[in-house]
Amino acid sequence: MRLSLPGLPYRQRRLLGSVAALLAGGASWSAMAADDMPAEFGWTTRVVAEGREAKRDSPFAAGLPLTGFGRDRYRIEQELRGRAGPVSLLLTATESGQEGSKPTGRFLAHEAYADLVIGGERISVGKKQLSGDVAYGFRPIDVLQRESRLQLAPPPLEGIPMLSWDNFSSQGAWSLVLANPGHGRRGEARDDGSIALRLYRREGSADLHGVLRHSGRLGMEFGGAVSAVPGEALELHASLLQQTRGERRVPAADGAGTAQLLNADAALLTEGIANPRKALIGGTWTTADGYSMLGEVWWDGTAPAAADWQRLRRQARQRAALLGLPGVPAAAVAGATAASLRIFDQGNLARRGALARLAWSDSASGWSASLDLLGSLDDGGRIVTAAVAWQGERLRVDAGLRRHGGPGDSAFGLLPDRAAAFVGLSLAY
Amino acid sequence: MFDRIAMLALLSLSLGAMAADEGKVKALLKQADDFRLAIASGRVETEVRSFKGDALDKTRLYAVYLKPGRRSLVLFRTASERGQKMLMLGDDYWLMMPSSQRPLRITAMQKLLGEASTGDIATMTWSDDYDGAVSGEDVIDGLPCLKLDLLGQRKGVSYPRIVLYLAKKDRHPVQAELYVASDKLAKLARFSMGEIDGRRQVTVMTLIDHLQKERSTEVHYLSRTGKTLSDDYFNPAFLVRADLTQ
Repeated sequence: MRLSLPGLPYRQRRLLGSVAALLAGGASWSAMAADDMPAEFGWTTRVVAEGREAKRDSPFAAGLPLTGFGRDRYRIEQELRGRAGPVSLLLTATESGQEGSKPTGRFLAHEAYADLVIGGERISVGKKQLSGDVAYGFRPIDVLQRESRLQLAPPPLEGIPMLSWDNFSSQGAWSLVLANPGHGRRGEARDDGSIALRLYRREGSADLHGVLRHSGRLGMEFGGAVSAVPGEALELHASLLQQTRGERRVPAADGAGTAQLLNADAALLTEGIANPRKALIGGTWTTADGYSMLGEVWWDGTAPAAADWQRLRRQARQRAALLGLPGVPAAAVAGATAASLRIFDQGNLARRGALARLAWSDSASGWSASLDLLGSLDDGGRIVTAAVAWQGERLRVDAGLRRHGGPGDSAFGLLPDRAAAFVGLSLAY
Repeated sequence: MFDRIAMLALLSLSLGAMAADEGKVKALLKQADDFRLAIASGRVETEVRSFKGDALDKTRLYAVYLKPGRRSLVLFRTASERGQKMLMLGDDYWLMMPSSQRPLRITAMQKLLGEASTGDIATMTWSDDYDGAVSGEDVIDGLPCLKLDLLGQRKGVSYPRIVLYLAKKDRHPVQAELYVASDKLAKLARFSMGEIDGRRQVTVMTLIDHLQKERSTEVHYLSRTGKTLSDDYFNPAFLVRADLTQ
């Protein structure tokens, strides 16, 4: 297979070439596959353009050039998804454009795993997405892998190396999962090695989920979730996690001197928490006209508290005030400010949060629309997202607007962007 | 005294007639089902063509695995939907999106949305879910038909009421009026017959949207095979595994 794409940069063409070669490989594999080893691959081309309105008065302005905040402009993604025999693949080749930087490209295997039956036992091995909870805005029992709520038009989630032993009965299932085998404790919790037992049971019109996980960093975690359909239009769900140890990133304590304020390594501290809990309750109502309403509220005992966000702003302002003073290198201010922005990398920013979503879809015309309000009940911060989509035979068009608001010292109010917009096109083959 | 005896006799006769009618209706529905799905377990390849006026708007492909006990698994095979799976176990429904590793429990209302809802595609029999009475006779497209008034026997059926017309000659389905919970006529289904594997079967079900009359949907049954899946595949937790061809 040879692709001629003269309009695209060299790097993108190389990436496309790689995907094309993989597709060709997949096709030959498919041809070789026996009837009981079927193969099928799909290819999607996705183009996402983003625009952002930065807060001119953000206390983090000095550090922003050193981070990726607000700089994403476009993404051209080629996605290969499918399976050949027992092997499943999700591969992407992506060219990304950021403001003030040359386009970058990367090839990534988001998933590459095999589902096998060995001696009558079902085994999965490879790199696989392991998120799975009943909730949307926040997922307490996603202990193996978390998804970010802050990304607009996010790329596919990257799986983690795993080995699982899966067992199924008529009313339930259980899996023993070894995640990141041999990793032990790494820099980020998502890369830690852990062992987990996942349970599922169907009880009438309800699904019950359970999880038990052990890792060196967090010790034992256990939780459960339920999703039930008590009526024709109503779905209710709830999720609860109890940890023996938890962690969160918080700003350094108040009263720090200039040297500490300028120390990027000390901008944030990892704070240990004993026996934290996470809980969520929510539901969805769907009407015959294609409208659906989702509501969720939650508590996350490992998210930063309102006082932490207030301290983050105070310290960002103190650093900004140091700029231009004799003996204070601007690079040190920028570095420490940028390091403090890593607090936003945590999965959930709202300790007491809520999500309300109104959505409508009409499959006859292919149109759908949604309006989301994600709020922090502790400090009044909020994110409002309006999105519209059209799905045709192969082409899908998405567009959306997002606005961050609330008090200037709230979690979402502190985000360096005031608003963001995106347009996405995807073509499936 | 005589009046009372006459009334009791009349009541007994009516009850007897109703019971006979119920048995007759079940037998008629079984005969009609045989024209749609003659196998208890199997795989049905389905192509859904949506029309806007006379113009073809969209084509969608599905593979539907059916098992006794009102179990069906729908695999979405069109490029834009590839990887989606829908599982129906009696009155319980799950949707699996390729972008997530969790089967979502969905409501009966969510299952119904769409020109040809997955319920229309995955439900290929009436005799397990409906009962009623023969309410008369009618002529549809020049074909003498029996008219059956059917009521859903469980809460999860896609259409709580159906008025079904079966050919008097061989009981093949000719037309069905499909009513939603509010007793509004939602769709009109017409059935086209053809020869598949030497057997006379329903080859196309045409759904005419009664609310958006310019829209119609053709459900083409491309093939029916006896290929079955083990019970594991009809477990919601199994949907995250990729053992199944799309």
